[in-house]
Amino acid sequence: MICEHCKQRPATITVTQMKNGKKMTRHFCEVCNKQLDSFHLNLDFNADPISMHQLFSNWFGTPSWSVAAPNANEQKAQQQDTCPECGMNYRQFLNEGKFNCPSCYDTFKEQLPHVLKRLHNGAVEHVGKAPGSINEAYQTKKQIEAIRVDMKIAIEEERFEDAASMRDKVRVLEKKLQVGGESQDEH
Amino acid sequence: MNIEHFLHKSTANWMQGEGQYDDIVMSTRIRLARNLMDFRFPRAFSEEEAMQIDKAVSNVLIDADEEQQSQFSYFSLHDMPVLQRQVLVEKHLISPQLADKVKAGSVLLSDDESISVMINEEDHIRIQCLQPGLQLAKAYENAEQIDRLLERHLPYAFDDTFGYLTSCPTNTGTGLRASIMMHLPALTMTNQIGSLISTMPRLGMVVRGMYGEGTESVGNYYQISNQITLGKSEKDILADLKSVTEQIIQKETEARTALMEHASIALADRLNRSLGTLLYARILTSEEAANCLSNVRLGIYLGIIQNIPVFVLNECMLYMQPGFLQQHAGTTLQANERDVYRASLLRERLQCNRELKKGQFDEEGEDSYDV
Repeated sequence: MICEHCKQRPATITVTQMKNGKKMTRHFCEVCNKQLDSFHLNLDFNADPISMHQLFSNWFGTPSWSVAAPNANEQKAQQQDTCPECGMNYRQFLNEGKFNCPSCYDTFKEQLPHVLKRLHNGAVEHVGKAPGSINEAYQTKKQIEAIRVDMKIAIEEERFEDAASMRDKVRVLEKKLQVGGESQDEH
Repeated sequence: MNIEHFLHKSTANWMQGEGQYDDIVMSTRIRLARNLMDFRFPRAFSEEEAMQIDKAVSNVLIDADEEQQSQFSYFSLHDMPVLQRQVLVEKHLISPQLADKVKAGSVLLSDDESISVMINEEDHIRIQCLQPGLQLAKAYENAEQIDRLLERHLPYAFDDTFGYLTSCPTNTGTGLRASIMMHLPALTMTNQIGSLISTMPRLGMVVRGMYGEGTESVGNYYQISNQITLGKSEKDILADLKSVTEQIIQKETEARTALMEHASIALADRLNRSLGTLLYARILTSEEAANCLSNVRLGIYLGIIQNIPVFVLNECMLYMQPGFLQQHAGTTLQANERDVYRASLLRERLQCNRELKKGQFDEEGEDSYDV
């Protein structure tokens, strides 16, 4: 019998493989078997979290839904932004699908909404709980943001009285935020 | 507590199935991903950073003993033999990913095994809480308690816009992954599971195998969890998962009823054959064992198989896994040796229980059903 792989040397080794539940018997010569064998081993080593990162980079990199290609500015930003803490750049993040440090979030904050949208059904902002220490200020900030959105709508709908009362509310909250910040500093 | 306590207890606490819907829901798991400010994530940090984080987190949990209901024991993965790590994975006390983190990883386990805090896995801190049955609120409450304790002492990496910052953007926001482990043999037998799995992503849920990400379903066990962590509050995430779970429970119950109505003999035949295999087989692969145990479990809850208590099955589910088998055998076993050992272990465990039960029946003057 002749080796199935090189089709030159005589086959001296029989390899039995299970593939998709089917048994396959193959015949190789010693030389080819060695090559193929090490190849199989490599495959095994690579078997871990393969596709996940690849998948991400495809997702993140090419916005299939977006008609407008990223403009020149954005591309430039993508290439230049490098995290000051860990040295990761945006391209690296796209390839690996994971951040290297908390500061990466700040570094890539312009591009991130686009990535997060795809992973979280269109959501780009956290609405859950916050650590106790920053909780109060955080809640107030969120409240202000929400009121501002309502205020915009009110103005568009020409409900100016509502908008004015909302503006007052925002002012009160902002004052509270400042006072809170100062009292924290005193600690 | 030393490691032996966690290795040799044959049933994990989360398996003591007294929770709600325990005929279908095995367990509830809550996981919170947290990171410390000013440290790089484990995938990029230095050994020194790893040690600092390790020390900071474990000190808080160990020092907090008085104010805390649960006591924690600390184990470094570095000092742990491969087999012990595998047993902890099989008991779901650590993740497979942590088991590989020999350099920096460690874990704090609560004495009752319901809480484990993994340090330097993919994130600096992973709080995991397990409960038997469907108990999302209870499990979340436990996780919250640990979270509050840690946040009082450690500065978390948190951003007003993005929420809790995590190494992987799929966890950003709440860092919360809630999972329900379900046993769905009837949906599998009636070929409905495929369409169920494919509709899950539309509901923001994801279906995984028994050991989480990247694992296949074993013995008709499926883990259902939330996919989305951003833009949804913790409360909403839990509520949505609960309602999806309840719908699946209903579907599985309907499928079980339909099977009983339309194919009771064929079903009883199949389930009893599985029991026969477990009682008399001499070689059992883990796949066959898992499928047979799944069938016997279904048989018990349908009243087709009577004289085996569920806790014995749970024990067998743990015992049949490679790590547990080898620990029980006290030596390393090759795959084919494991299959033989597995068969004899399960045979023994199930038979001794049947005899015990039969004896009880006789004393009560009842006929055992299999004359």
